[in-house]
Amino acid sequence: MGTDSRTRIWWALAGVVVCIYALVPVLWIVSLSFKTTDTITDGSFVPRSWTLDNYAQIFSLDLFTSALVNSIGIAIISTVLAVVIGTMAAYAIARLDFPGKKTLVGVSLLIAMFPQISLVSPLFDISRAVGLFDTWPGLILPYITFALPLAIYTLSAFFREIPWELEKAAKMDGATPLQAFREVIVPLAAPGVFTTAILVFIFCWNDFLFAISLTSTSASQTAPVAIANFTGASQFAEPTGSIAAAAVLLTIPIIIFVLLFQRRIVAGLTSGAVKG
Amino acid sequence: MAVPVRPRTAQAPGTAQAPDTARRRGAVGACALLAAAALAGCGSGPVGPPVLNFYGPADGAAQYGAAAQDCTAAAAGRYSVVYRSLPKSADDQRLQLARRLVAGDDEVDIVGIDVTWTPEFAAAGWIERFPEDLAARVREGTLEGPLETATYQDALWAAPLNTNTQLLWYRKDLAPTPPATWDEMIDASEALAEQDLPSYIEVQGAQYEGLTVWFNTLLTSAGGGILDEAGTVLLGDGDAAARALSVMQRVAASPASDPSLSVAKENDGRLAMEAGEAAFQINYPFVYASINTPPPDGGGGGTFLDEQGRPSATDTGRRVVDEFAWAPYPSVVPGRPASPTIGGFNLAVSTTGGEQELAFEAIECLRNRDNQLRNAVEGGVPPTLEELYSDPAFQEEYPAWEAIRAALDNASVRPLTPAYTSISIVLSDRLNPPDQIDPAALVPELVGQVEGAVNSEGLVP
Amino acid sequence: MTVQSRATAAERQQPSQGPTKAQRSDGKRAERRLGIMLAAPAAIIIVLVTAYPVGYAVWLSLQRYDLRFPAEQSFAGLANYGAVLSSSYWWQAFGVTMLITVVSVAIEFVLGLALALAMHRTLVARGLIRTVILIPYGIVTVVAAFSWQFAWTPGTGYLAALLPTGTAPLTDFGASLAIIIGAEVWKTTPFMALLLLAGLALVPEDMLKAAAMDGAGPWQRLTQIILPMMKPAILVALLFRTLDAFRVFDNIYILTNGANGTGSVSMLGYNNLFKAFNLGIGSAISVLIFISVAIIALIFIRLFGASAPGSDNTGKR
Repeated sequence: MGTDSRTRIWWALAGVVVCIYALVPVLWIVSLSFKTTDTITDGSFVPRSWTLDNYAQIFSLDLFTSALVNSIGIAIISTVLAVVIGTMAAYAIARLDFPGKKTLVGVSLLIAMFPQISLVSPLFDISRAVGLFDTWPGLILPYITFALPLAIYTLSAFFREIPWELEKAAKMDGATPLQAFREVIVPLAAPGVFTTAILVFIFCWNDFLFAISLTSTSASQTAPVAIANFTGASQFAEPTGSIAAAAVLLTIPIIIFVLLFQRRIVAGLTSGAVKG
Repeated sequence: MAVPVRPRTAQAPGTAQAPDTARRRGAVGACALLAAAALAGCGSGPVGPPVLNFYGPADGAAQYGAAAQDCTAAAAGRYSVVYRSLPKSADDQRLQLARRLVAGDDEVDIVGIDVTWTPEFAAAGWIERFPEDLAARVREGTLEGPLETATYQDALWAAPLNTNTQLLWYRKDLAPTPPATWDEMIDASEALAEQDLPSYIEVQGAQYEGLTVWFNTLLTSAGGGILDEAGTVLLGDGDAAARALSVMQRVAASPASDPSLSVAKENDGRLAMEAGEAAFQINYPFVYASINTPPPDGGGGGTFLDEQGRPSATDTGRRVVDEFAWAPYPSVVPGRPASPTIGGFNLAVSTTGGEQELAFEAIECLRNRDNQLRNAVEGGVPPTLEELYSDPAFQEEYPAWEAIRAALDNASVRPLTPAYTSISIVLSDRLNPPDQIDPAALVPELVGQVEGAVNSEGLVP
Repeated sequence: MTVQSRATAAERQQPSQGPTKAQRSDGKRAERRLGIMLAAPAAIIIVLVTAYPVGYAVWLSLQRYDLRFPAEQSFAGLANYGAVLSSSYWWQAFGVTMLITVVSVAIEFVLGLALALAMHRTLVARGLIRTVILIPYGIVTVVAAFSWQFAWTPGTGYLAALLPTGTAPLTDFGASLAIIIGAEVWKTTPFMALLLLAGLALVPEDMLKAAAMDGAGPWQRLTQIILPMMKPAILVALLFRTLDAFRVFDNIYILTNGANGTGSVSMLGYNNLFKAFNLGIGSAISVLIFISVAIIALIFIRLFGASAPGSDNTGKR
C-alpha cells in the first residue's frame, strides 16, 4: 500500500512537470501580451500591471486585421478543398483497386517528406509569371498539395477501420444506396473526416515559409508573417507587446481544438503516422 | 519558359481577376491604415484624379505623408499622392519593394529607395530612367555626392531626396582637441582607459550594412575602393584595404573598446554615449537631435557626470550634453581628409505603375525645397539641395551643418553595381567580429568573395 | 505497422465478395474507373504544384538567372552547383542543419520515450496530460519562437534574467544554437511521444510480466523487450522527425534570422532567393536540399529497414 501511494505521487509529480513543460512558454507570451509598455521589459514572469492596450493596438492596425482575415480564409478554404480531394483519393486507396494506386501512395509519401524550401524558388517564379503571386489561390494551392498526404494517410487509415459490411446489411434491409450511405457510412466516416480537417487546418494555420515567400502585401499576407513584420510605434520602440498579443490570438483556435478534440487529434496523428 | 523582363505584360488575362480583387481589398485596407495614422488623402475613390502610390521607409513617415498631402494640393486635381509606409528595416523595405516590382504590382508608382539600390533597381528594369529635361532640372542645384548615387551608367534613374553622412561626436571634457586620425583616437581612448575614465569608441561593428559602411569609409579614406565603375574589384590594389582592416581590428581589440562592439549598431552607439560610457562616437547627425530631446523619445541630455567625467547617479548639474561636441570624421592617412560614406534616400518611378509621367512630376514636388526642409528639420535627415545649407532655418536645427556640408563634399559612394546588396552581405559577414580580423589573410579572401558576388556566382549567407 | 496489417486484411477480404467471374470483371472495370476518377483531382494537383515545379527548379538550377541581371540569363550547366558546393556558407549551413537535426532528434527521442512510457503506465490525469502536450504540437511555430526569443532577450525575458547581466545568448553562436534546438525539442517532443505511445501499445503486457517474473529489471525489460518490439514505430517516428528537423526554418528565422552563422540550409536557400534574387543559385540550393533529404530517407530505409507507412501495401512482414 505504501509503495503504491508513493508511485502515485511520483506519477502525479511527473504529470506536473509535463504540464509546466508544455504550458510555461505559452503562459509567458500571454503574460507579455497583458504587460504595460513600461513594465514589458521588467523580465517578470507575471505582469506587475495589467492592460488590454496591446490588443487594442493590434486591432487598430489594419495590417493585422487583414492578415487575420487572410489566415482564416486561406486556412479554411485550403482545409475544405484538401479534405474533399483527400477523402475521394483516400476512399479510392482504401476500398478500390485501380492502376497507379501505388504510385499515388508513394508520391504523396514523398511529398510528406519533401523540404518545402525546394518548392519555393520555382513556385515564386511561376506564380509571379501567371499572376498568382500575392493572391489567396497562390497560397491555397501549395497548402492543399502539402496537406494532401496528411489527409490521404489519416483518412485511408480511418476508412480501413470502417465496417463496410454494415452498408450491405442496410441495403439488404431495404435501404436505398443513398440512404445506406447517409445513414450508415456518413456517421461512421464523419469522425475521421473531421479529425483530418483539424489536422489540415493546424498545418495551414502554422505555415510560415510559403506565406513569407509567396506574398508581399495585405492582400494575402497571413498572420504569422504579419507578426514577424511588426514594427514598433516609434523609431526606437520595440513591438514586443503587439507581437505577444497577436501571438496569443493565433494560439486561441489551437487551444480550442486541443481542448475539444484531444482524443481525435491523437488518433489522427498516430493512425496516419504522418505529420504535416 | 517565358521569363518576362517586364513582368506586368506577362500576366495572363484570364488570371488577372483574382489578384485584382485581392489588391483592391488590400488598397481599402491600406486606406484604413492611413486613416488610422491620421494621414488624409485617401478619399479619392474609383473616380477622380489618378492616385499615385508613394512607397517609402517607415522612419520619417510623418514628413513623407505631409509632403504627399502638400503635393496633392499643389497638383490641383491632376493627381493625388498617397504615402504608403514600408517596413522599418532597410532589408525588409528592399525585399517588399523588389517582390512587388518583380511580380508587376501596378499599384507601385513612386518608390523611396536607399541610395545603394539605384543600380540594382535600374538594371533589373524595376524603375524608369529619368527623361533628359527632368534629369537636367534634378541635377541643377543638387549636391554632387547624392547625385552620383542616383546615377547608373551615365543616366539618372532617381532623384536624391535626402542624404546622410557620419561625423565624429566626442566628449570635449575627455578630449579637449578632437583626434584628427584613427590612430590618435585609439591612443586617446587607451589613455582614458588607463585612467579609468570613459574610453569607448562607438562605431557600427555588428554584422549588417553599417559595418560595410565603416569599412568603405576607411578604405576610401586610405585611397582605396571596393569596385571601379566597370565592376573590377579594387580591394587587392595597394595597401589601402589592409590599412582599413588594421584600423578596424585595432579599435575592436583595444582593451579600451566597448566589449559589445561586435553587435553594436547606430542606436547602441548613441545610447552608450548618452549613458556616459563612451568618449568617441562615429554616427549620423540624428544623435545630436536625440541627446537634445527629452525622454522617452530622446536621451534628455544624457546622464549626469561627476568631476572626472564618469557617469554619475546623482545630480551633479553637469550632463553629457554639456560636453557633447562634433568634429570631422577622423582620417586614416594623416593629412588626407576622410571620405565618409554617403547615405540617404532617392526617389524613383516604378516601371509597373501606370502613370509614369505624373509620377515624375510628383517626384519633383516631393523633393522640392519646402519638403526637403521639413524632412531635415522634423525628420533629422540632411537635404540634397545645396541652397538649403545656407538657409537659417536649417542651420538653426543643424549646428553641425558646416561639418556635414564639408563631409558631403569629401564623401565616398558605395559601389554603384546591381550586385551591391550581395557584396555588402558577404563583406559584413567576413568583417564580423572585427576584433578577429587578420588583415593580411582577409584581403585576398575579400577579393574572392566580392568577385563572386559581382558576377552573381557566389552565395550570400 | 498497424496501418499495413489492416490494409492487407482489407485487401484479402475484397476478392472473396465478388459473386461470379463475369460480374467481377465488369465490376472490376467500373471499380478501376471510379478509383481513377476519385484519385484524379489529388493526382492532378500533386503534378501541377509539385512535380512540375520540381522539374522547373532543376531547370532553373542549371541557369544563370539573377533577377537583377535579367538580360544575362543563360544556360550555366552545373556552375551553380559548383558555386554552392565550393562555398563555405553552404557547408556552414549544412553543418548547422545536421547538428540541429541530430541533437534535437536524439533529445526528442529520449524525452519522447520517457513521456510515452509515463503516459502508458499512469492512469492519473491521462486525458489532461494528453491534452496539455498537444499544445506545443499545435501552436504556431512562429508564436513559440517569439516566446523563446522574448524569454532570452536581456531585460525582457524571465530566462535571460537568470543569466549574469551582460550576456545576450541570442548574439552568440553556441547559445543561439542551443536555444534553437530547445525550441525545436519543445515543440516536437509531444508528437514523438504520441507516435511512440502508439508503438508501445503493441508490446504485449504478458510478455513484460513474464520477464519480470524471470527477474528482468526495468532497464532490461526496456532494452530487451520494449524497444525491440517497438522498432518499426521508432524508426517511422525518427524518420519523419529527422526529415522534418532537416528543413528547420521558422524557428531560426525568428530567433536569430541566421545571425552568427546559425542559418540552416533552408535559410540559405531563402536568403539567396530573396536577398540576392538569384534564382539560379537559390534553385541549386533547393535541389541539393532535396537530394540531402532523399539520402537521409534512403539511409533510414536501407540501413535501418524502416518501412514507411503505406509505401508497400502488401506488407513485407
